[in-house]
Amino acid sequence: MQIAETLLIAIDELSKLPGIGKKTAQRLALHIIKADKESAEKLAKAIIDLKEKLMLCKKCFNLSEDELCDICKNPKRDQSLICVVEEVSDVIAIEKSHEFNGLYHVLGGVLSPLMGIGAENLRIKELINRFHDEEIKEVILALNPDTEGETTSLYLAKLIKPLGIKVTRIARGIPIGGDLEFADEATIGKAMLNRIDL
Amino acid sequence: MILSLMELRNFRKHINTNLRFSEGLNYIVGGNGIGKTTVLEAIYLMCSTKSFYAKDFEMLNFNASEFEVKGLFKGITTDKVRVYYRSADLKKYYFLNDKIITRSSDVIGKFPVVTLTPDDHSITQGAPSDRRRFVDSVISQASKTYLNFLIDYNKTLKHRAVVLTKLSERIIPSLLDELDAWTENLINNGTEIILHRKNFIKRFNEYLKQSYFKIMGNDELPEIKYQTIDIGDEENIKGRLTDLITQNRENEIRRGANLIGPHRDDFIFEINGINLKTFGSQGQNKTFQTVLRFAEFFYLKDITGNTPIFLLDDVFGELDAFRASKVSEYLKEVGQAFITLTDFANFKYLSKTETDLVIKLQDGETVYV
Repeated sequence: MQIAETLLIAIDELSKLPGIGKKTAQRLALHIIKADKESAEKLAKAIIDLKEKLMLCKKCFNLSEDELCDICKNPKRDQSLICVVEEVSDVIAIEKSHEFNGLYHVLGGVLSPLMGIGAENLRIKELINRFHDEEIKEVILALNPDTEGETTSLYLAKLIKPLGIKVTRIARGIPIGGDLEFADEATIGKAMLNRIDL
Repeated sequence: MILSLMELRNFRKHINTNLRFSEGLNYIVGGNGIGKTTVLEAIYLMCSTKSFYAKDFEMLNFNASEFEVKGLFKGITTDKVRVYYRSADLKKYYFLNDKIITRSSDVIGKFPVVTLTPDDHSITQGAPSDRRRFVDSVISQASKTYLNFLIDYNKTLKHRAVVLTKLSERIIPSLLDELDAWTENLINNGTEIILHRKNFIKRFNEYLKQSYFKIMGNDELPEIKYQTIDIGDEENIKGRLTDLITQNRENEIRRGANLIGPHRDDFIFEINGINLKTFGSQGQNKTFQTVLRFAEFFYLKDITGNTPIFLLDDVFGELDAFRASKVSEYLKEVGQAFITLTDFANFKYLSKTETDLVIKLQDGETVYV
């Protein structure tokens, strides 16, 4: 059976997206064909805008429509507090909690010599430069609690502490709203080790 | 937990074998190559989701395209297990009570199992890594926290080795800072591993003594000695590990390798203070291996509160009549056990009560003697 080349190209491009296989890509393409022209144009524009309008914030490397992102520009946010995260998706996750009112710094990964990622591949120099340009009192390390994230935290702490800046790390333990009985043993074990006084 | 029924289809030599088991001892008897060990392998597969040693496809009968192992476990609850493999998918599927299980960690620990196989000779006679594997597997079965420290530690070692190799070629100051971070992580996880191993050995030695006495019936004293970093009298393991790594920093960089830490630990097995590996006979080694597994059994039973199923593959082949009869006496305290034998007639000194079963495998047939 012959399939129109235009459709094949669309399926091929869509199936390059994460989590989209050939079949889903085909469904999406056929759906777009059926829909009215306006919604197809909106989708196309939204995709183009992602590339054209968005850039990385000069200061924190979060996604931004300006040189500085909305968080860095907001004078109501605590300018003396920086939360260090791995990726932009982590900023989104923490922002959703509405519990953090400081600034961010997106490292762009963690130390992983096996994958060929060293300190020079991360935005560490840029972070250190911020301590000269800004009045930073505390750095909160919010990296993933795995081997690589843990080591990167240790690395950063050693680098930042001598500058007279307080360094903290987010707590780890039992998820809120989850039943204790459903938490895995490793999490409960860590939560026990990291227990706090009441 | 008791395994009461098992069905094997196209599982190695077993085209269609149905077995019922006693809640006590189950002697599995038959000639060479008839599939006795395979019965243990199938039980192990249901308990742990994998074979002792083989890959999934190796368990498939040569003339078949799929195999199936079904079992009925009885404890406080009754659980149906089904393991199904299809060569078309190159994949095996594990079902617990007709529901598919995708993460093996959801099953591991539910049906605890302890195995004694001829491969155990490497524990007392092989390399330090064989002994570490034995100790790690026992502690991990009782403590997921330990397992996590171990996984983290091993990952840290790999990353750190890459950094050390780079530094051995050329010293880059910023890379030295990275090394320090990996070192700190290695010290944190390494300290926990040493502490866990130290406490474990102390506790496990009690179980070892008891099992040894049951099998040997004399006042010889078995002991495992933990050989780790040179702690000296120091209580502060973390401080000592830090000191040692600091002292060896240049050496590690020059060699480009991780030289200090519990990945180089060893465990020395002794009888009355005499090193088994150096001075023990084959029989003493075999006895010690048997004792280790019995100690593991009772240790896990106490710690997890769940009685393991005991699988003994060809244990009596290398033991003298006296020790073999002691082992079979001792097995009465275990609960359910599965023991392979080449020919039961030659083993008159083995104990067998009314409830115990002798299951004779013959070509395509199962006979309960």
